[in-house]
Parts: sequence; C-alpha cells; structure tokens
Amino acid sequence: MNFINDLLKIIGDFIAGIINSIFGFSPFLADLVTMGLAAVILCTFAALSFMGLTYVERKVVARIQDRVGPNQAGPLGLLQPIADGIKMFTKEDTTPAAADRWVYNLAPLVIAVFALTTYAVLPFAPDVVGTNLNVGVFYIIAVGSGSIVAIIMAGWGSNNKYALLGAFRTVAQLVGYEVPMLLNVLPVVMLAGSMSLVDIINQQTTLNGNPGIPFIVFFPLSALVFLISGIAETARSPFDLLEAESEIVAGFHVEYSGMKFALFFLGEYVNALAVAFVFSTLFLGGYAGPVLPPYIWLLLKAAAVFFVFMWLRGTLPRIRVDQMHNMNWKFFVPVSIVHLVVVMALLKLFVTNPAMAQANGGILVTPGVQAAILFTASMLILIGSLMIAARRARIMRLQEEAVLEQRRAENIAAVSA
Amino acid sequence: MTIHQVLFIVIALAILGAAIFVVTTSNLFRAALMMILTFFGVAGLFVLLDIGLFAVAQVLIYIGAISILVIFAVMLTRGMQGMVPRNSQAVAAAVVAGIIFFVLLLLFGPLRTTIDVARWPIVSLFARNVSPRDVGGVEWIPPGQPIPAVPETYIADFGRALVDLNQYLLPFLLIAFLVDVVLAGAIFIARQRRPAEVIEDRQRQAEEAAEEAEAMRRAGMTPDVAALPEGAVASTAEH
Repeated sequence: MNFINDLLKIIGDFIAGIINSIFGFSPFLADLVTMGLAAVILCTFAALSFMGLTYVERKVVARIQDRVGPNQAGPLGLLQPIADGIKMFTKEDTTPAAADRWVYNLAPLVIAVFALTTYAVLPFAPDVVGTNLNVGVFYIIAVGSGSIVAIIMAGWGSNNKYALLGAFRTVAQLVGYEVPMLLNVLPVVMLAGSMSLVDIINQQTTLNGNPGIPFIVFFPLSALVFLISGIAETARSPFDLLEAESEIVAGFHVEYSGMKFALFFLGEYVNALAVAFVFSTLFLGGYAGPVLPPYIWLLLKAAAVFFVFMWLRGTLPRIRVDQMHNMNWKFFVPVSIVHLVVVMALLKLFVTNPAMAQANGGILVTPGVQAAILFTASMLILIGSLMIAARRARIMRLQEEAVLEQRRAENIAAVSA
Repeated sequence: MTIHQVLFIVIALAILGAAIFVVTTSNLFRAALMMILTFFGVAGLFVLLDIGLFAVAQVLIYIGAISILVIFAVMLTRGMQGMVPRNSQAVAAAVVAGIIFFVLLLLFGPLRTTIDVARWPIVSLFARNVSPRDVGGVEWIPPGQPIPAVPETYIADFGRALVDLNQYLLPFLLIAFLVDVVLAGAIFIARQRRPAEVIEDRQRQAEEAAEEAEAMRRAGMTPDVAALPEGAVASTAEH
C-alpha cells in the first residue's frame, strides 16, 4: 500500500538516483539535470492533459447539449486530439504583412511559457512538488498576470483592429478579476499562516495524515468567488468576451493559424487546469484524502473542478461586457473586502492554537467550532450581499421603468398637442 | 566562478541590453515590451538574492500592472493609429536618468561603507530606536565577504515591520489612505448615473437649449446677419 501511495516519489527518487550515479563527479550538474528533467516532465504532463482535456470537454459539452461529439477518429473518437494536432501542424503558418514580426511571433510562446510556469509550485503528492516556494500562492497570481502581456503582444503585433479590441477587453477583464482572486486567497493564507501551497495542504490535513477540514468549509464565499474569478482569469465561457466571435471575430488571436494558434489554445487549457489544481489545493485539501493514493485524490478533485468549468461552458450564454465589469467591481470586490475584514476579526477572536491564545488573547476553540463560526459568517455575508444586490437590482429596474413610463407619457402629450 | 555569479552576469547583461534597447529604439511599443524584460531581469536578481517575495511582487506589480499601464498609454495616445509611435525625447530622458543614477550612486554606492537608513531625516521620523537592518537598511559588504543569508521568517518580519508603530506603520497607513482616495475618485468618475439623475439632466439640457434659443431670438439673430445679403442688412437698419 505504501508503494502505491508514494509511487510518484519512488519513481522520482529512482530517476534522481540514476542521474546521480551518471553525474556523480559533479553534484551541481546532477542537480541541474534532475531539475531540467522535472521541468520537462511537468510541461509534458500539462501538454498531454491539454490534449486529453480538449477531447473530454468536447464530449461533455456535446452530452450537455444533446449531441454526440467527436466519434469518428478511433474508438469513441479517442484519437480526435491527435487528428486535431496533425491538422494544426499541417496548416499554413501565416503572418500578416503589416504585423510587427517579432512581437507577433513571440506572443504565443510567451503565453505558453507563463501558463506552464504555474505548475512549478503545485504539490502533486507529499514531497512531490517542483519547488516548495514560501510565496507559492502569490507566485501563482503573479505569473497569471504575465499572460496579459502575451495577449497585448498578440493584439498589437497582429496589426488588426479586431485583435486590438480583443486585447483591450482582455486587459480590462484580466486585470479586474485579479483583484477578487487575490482578496479571496487572503483568508486562506491567514488561516494557514503561510503562502506555501504545501503548508496550506498540511493545514487541511490532521497530524496523522488523515484529511482534516478543507478550507471550503471555512470560507464558502471565498471559494465561490475564487472559482468564478478563476474562470474569468482564464477567459473561459461564459467570460470568453475576448474571443467573442459574433462581436470581434476571434479577438486577439484572429490572425494566428496553425501551431501558433494551437499554443494560444494550449495556454488557455493549461491555465484553466492550473486554476482547477489551485482551487483544489486551496479549498479542497489538495492531495489529502482517505484510502486512495494522494496523487489520485488531487487529480479527482481537479477533474471535478474542471467538470464544473465544462458544465458552465455547456450551459451558460456569454455575458455582456458591462455585466462582467459590474459583477466584478460592484459585487465581488466589495463583498470580498467585507468578508476579509470579518474573517480577520473572527480569526483574532477565535483561535485554535493555545500558545497564540496565551500571547494575543482571544477565545480558545477547537478547529471544528472555528470552522462552524467562519462558515456561518461567510454564508451570512454571501446571502446578505445577494439579498442587497437583488434589492438594488429591483430598484434600478423600477427606476428604469419609471423613466420609460415618463418618456411614453411625454410622447403621448407631444402627439396629442 | 560559482553558478550564482554566472547567473548574475547573464541576468545583468539581459537587463542592460534590454534597458539600452528601451532608450535607443524609436518604436515605443517595443520599448515598453523591452522594459518588461528589464523588470523581469530585476525579478531574477531578487531570486538570486533569495528574496522570493520581492521577486514575485516585482512580477505582479511592475509587469502585471505598471507595464500594462504604460503599454495602454502608448496604444491609446491620440495620433498613434496607423503609425509606429516614435520617441522624441531620448536626450532629455537620458539626462534625467543619468542624474538619478548618480544621486543613487552617492547614496547607496560603494563610496559609502554603511548606509544608515535610520539616520535619514524622513525615515527617522517614522523609525525610532531601530538599527539600519531593522528598517530595511543595507550594510555594504566588501568584496570577498560572505553575504549573510536571508532569515527564514523574512515574510513575517516584513509584515510585522509594516504594522509596527516604530517602523513603517505611518507610511503604510498613508499609502493605504492614498489608495482609498484614488479608488473613491475612480468610482466617482466612473459611476453610473441613476435614472432620476438622467431625467434631471435631460430636463436641464432642455431648459438650457430653450434659454439659448431665447437668447438667440433676443439678440436679433446676429450670427445669421453676416450671411444675409447686404441689402437685407440695410433694410433692417432702416427700421
């Protein structure tokens, strides 16, 4: 059982042992090769999961929309990603004559690189992590902002008005949704007392390795807002305004074809999968889980989160630009700030660590009680803010109707006069 | 040469090369992109110094926010549509940058053996009874001496320094206040007007238009006089 549980670590140690025996004369060289190999494996994992995800997504969305989905290439259409890959490879690689060549050609590379760098800090199993960065969460959000640069490069470099419009939309959306994302990671960081993803998972595990209380129980509001802003950050439907076909053709990647387009596509999927992984790490306890080995648990949780993404994509229509920004700046950000302040106060008031209670005061409670208190507070804020938003929306609607009514009355008066 | 030195040289060359490109190129958009590369290199230097927090903050703030702002300023500037933006103030910029560089060199450069930040007038207002290291001051380490390691708890120390009355609480509060004011200002400028206000506005506009028309009538349609034939003007003068 131990062998299966620690499979990834055993394989890693085995490979590291081989490399060490080859490069025994120089520990530095051995480290370099091991790290390089780890990076290659991580990137390959991400790229392969991209292939698999395109197939799964098409199948799932087809099922939701009462279609069949890909079923021609291979059994059940399983070879569809390979067929797509060949199609992408053999497509003509075009560059607009007036494009800024360097910027245009570099943009797909930059977006793929920034998407893949997220995986460096994701813990897949105990001791199986690219690097246990002590600012891991912060790093993920910072790297996520790098893809904005790539999208601007693509939008400007293409020298195309639609591409530029798409880039403008993207920046407004991605910069905006970074704010609630960051604000809703903070409660998790405060509760865990660390920004390292490994520490955050350890906080959601009891000391003897059993799964503890996942943070989604502590902060349901944070989890919800983080999930939605995660979808917006990766520009997936219903937030795919930057590539809204009916409005701006295909947005920032309208001029790209062949493998360059495929790299944008890869960036989108790899980012979405990274958000699913980060969500399951921050809020669902990461690899912690009973019976099954840890890496299977993490994959299951990430797959469940990704299924929610596909589900939303299959059911929801694309939202409007003003709705998107209203939701972010007028709902998510204020609610998140209120939630953050309340969580701060509650975490100071109800502490689980006896030493902290001695030093700073506060009421000593068990983790379960703390979770119950925070859950109640979070849910109260969520329900209260939704009620306020609904009431406000109703008032707005009534006022708009009043304006229409007055206009109609004016028109009638004008006609009769 | 250790690997750190090799990496430092590579990153420093990248920063310098990108920086020179930024100030010499005539294409503003490419200059902004190269500036991002410079910022990235600085983040790399922070990584070499083992301060991951600053490296990540550098990427998030400078690349994720400031560069985007710069690029937008370049792209939205009027007259940029359909032409390649050019930089026409390279000389002035070079002079300003040179002056700042030498001031910084005098303040932090190898001429000083220690930099006692706590003695600086502005800093000493906020920071009392602390050693330079506590307030983020740097001691100049002569070549060949080992560089002291960054403490494990530097993130927590950093956080505490921001809320410590003897250290950075006041600047921190001032910045927080500034950000609040900016946010409120942005909301005020961008707020959506309520339908009632829209009605008031329309009424006011209608009144203004009516007044204007009234004023025009009272002024005897003066603007149109010039357009009238000469005889017509003479006939009105007779009346």
